[in-house]
Amino acid sequence: MASGCLAKIVSSDTRHNFLLHYLAAIGVLLLTPVIFGVSRLDEVLAAQPLEIFLPLMGAILLPAVFMPEQNESIRDVVRSKKTAYLGVCFLRLIISVFIITLLTGAFMLYMKNMDCRVSLRLFAGSFATALALGSAGFFASALSDNVIVGYMTSIIYYIANFGLKDKLKVFYLFSMSAGKFGDKHWLYILAAVLVAAGFAYRKFVKER
Amino acid sequence: MLFSKECRRILTSLTFIIYCFVVGLFFVSQYFEECNGVPYVPDEKISEDHDVIMHGAVDDLATEFFANNYVCYPYGFYKSVRLKEDDSKKVEECLLEVTGLTHDELMDIRDSGEKYYIERGVQETMYYEIGEMPVSDTITYERFCELMGKVDDILGGGSNYKVDDIVFRYSYVPMTDEEIEGVISDLYDKDGVAGGYARLFSDYMGIVLGIMPVFVTAALVSADRRKRVSDLIYTRKISSFKLVFSRYTALVVMMFIPVIFCMIAASIQLIKNFDFSDLALYRMFTLPTFWLLPQIMIVTAVAMIVTEVFSSGIAILLQFAWWFHSNMSNGERLSGSIGKFDLICRHNTIYGRDEFLLSRNDFIFNRVFFFIAAIVITALTAYIFELKRGGRFNGFRLFGKDSIFRHKA
Repeated sequence: MASGCLAKIVSSDTRHNFLLHYLAAIGVLLLTPVIFGVSRLDEVLAAQPLEIFLPLMGAILLPAVFMPEQNESIRDVVRSKKTAYLGVCFLRLIISVFIITLLTGAFMLYMKNMDCRVSLRLFAGSFATALALGSAGFFASALSDNVIVGYMTSIIYYIANFGLKDKLKVFYLFSMSAGKFGDKHWLYILAAVLVAAGFAYRKFVKER
Repeated sequence: MLFSKECRRILTSLTFIIYCFVVGLFFVSQYFEECNGVPYVPDEKISEDHDVIMHGAVDDLATEFFANNYVCYPYGFYKSVRLKEDDSKKVEECLLEVTGLTHDELMDIRDSGEKYYIERGVQETMYYEIGEMPVSDTITYERFCELMGKVDDILGGGSNYKVDDIVFRYSYVPMTDEEIEGVISDLYDKDGVAGGYARLFSDYMGIVLGIMPVFVTAALVSADRRKRVSDLIYTRKISSFKLVFSRYTALVVMMFIPVIFCMIAASIQLIKNFDFSDLALYRMFTLPTFWLLPQIMIVTAVAMIVTEVFSSGIAILLQFAWWFHSNMSNGERLSGSIGKFDLICRHNTIYGRDEFLLSRNDFIFNRVFFFIAAIVITALTAYIFELKRGGRFNGFRLFGKDSIFRHKA
């Protein structure tokens, strides 16, 4: 019963709200081999597409979690339903994270097939970058109740990595391309804190 | 007055506040901090010697052709290209025409060369030590550029043979001490110091202004739908043309104000660091206005029309793609990189006046083109607004009746 309800939420959300986002994420995946070389790369060169371009999927998917109900009147209708609103948002987040995992994994398999030296730490690094980039937008979107502000925050964070490498320190997104593989756990921490803070704000401040 | 009303709306919007913060941050972290230090004086110059360019390019092309491994940077990122037989044959035809050799003579050069290996990534590529290649006596520079353009197309762009970059890649020669002194005195005598700094200022600010206006615009335009006041606006007496242009002008003016503040700050910094009599200070205002205003205008106009026709999300996605393409396709060339239709023009040095002047005509064409295009696009937006107002158009639908493109704020 519950699983049927969840499936209904997911399929309805996909059809009405997120199909374009999922297609855009796939678009990023398909564009990556056009922009970057993906054959016979060592670990550092292979890190370039995996952390400079592929994580844009996170910036597309995560800030959009609160998008459908950013209109107050729609949110009022949603609030009157039995299913918890934040539960639905959490489900959307899980689906988005799952899609990022799936597409990143698929792309790494493709790279492996193209004789690139890919490893689990590259996957973990790419995934962490996508989560950090996306969660910055997610948090801004939760706070401002405006998906555009969410996208803006993610893009600002992304651009900052091209000019403010030294100032970002452990939160620098492209560290693997510079040969440093050890800083990515900070990005997981950042993503976890921002997602938790976003939900906490929604639950204790916005939805009270 | 509608214009001032729109300005007030923009002033109090969160996206505009973030925009101001980012513009300021970018100005301080990139331009201001760099200009407080001692500027880097270039020690190489472009010779524009056609012989030097042709010899350099032909040597590289022959080396990469024999190895069938072409290193390209289509978006500033490494890409190794290996050609199939058909395409390799086309490159060979170009190489034969440029060198004036026959196929057998070309293969003789390859076979007489010593083999060596270069490791890139996990692959080791075999190259031939071929020395200097000949260049045909009969080939003109124009024909040479045509052939190099063809090779670059075959390789998918971003190769060593990209026509726009070929002068810069192959004709750099070291400068003498007198020439270096000449470059420095050009900054004082011809650029009035401020001209050189204005180019650097515009270069840095152009990066951030190539993307940030889309957020302010998309938020403002989609707010009508989000706050459900579209229908109310549609019923008003005001003409669509006046409404759209008032909104557009308000957006452009408001987004240019932080840039003017940055120009003032940059001017104060110049007055502090240089003798006032050396400064042609007006250039810190004229050049950045000519450089950056059309850029804000075109980004705003495109964002308005796409948000009106599709949605704010699509506008952001498209603008990001355009920004990424324009910014990254310059590759490593950060000065004098100005094409006719580049959204972001790059000239990341206070010197290099001659290099900048090489692209002067393209630069002027580029900015005038975007200025006019922005006005045309805005007029088109007003027409679309009018259609929507009359119920004759309601945005494009991508997936049937319940389109995902429609009415997404």
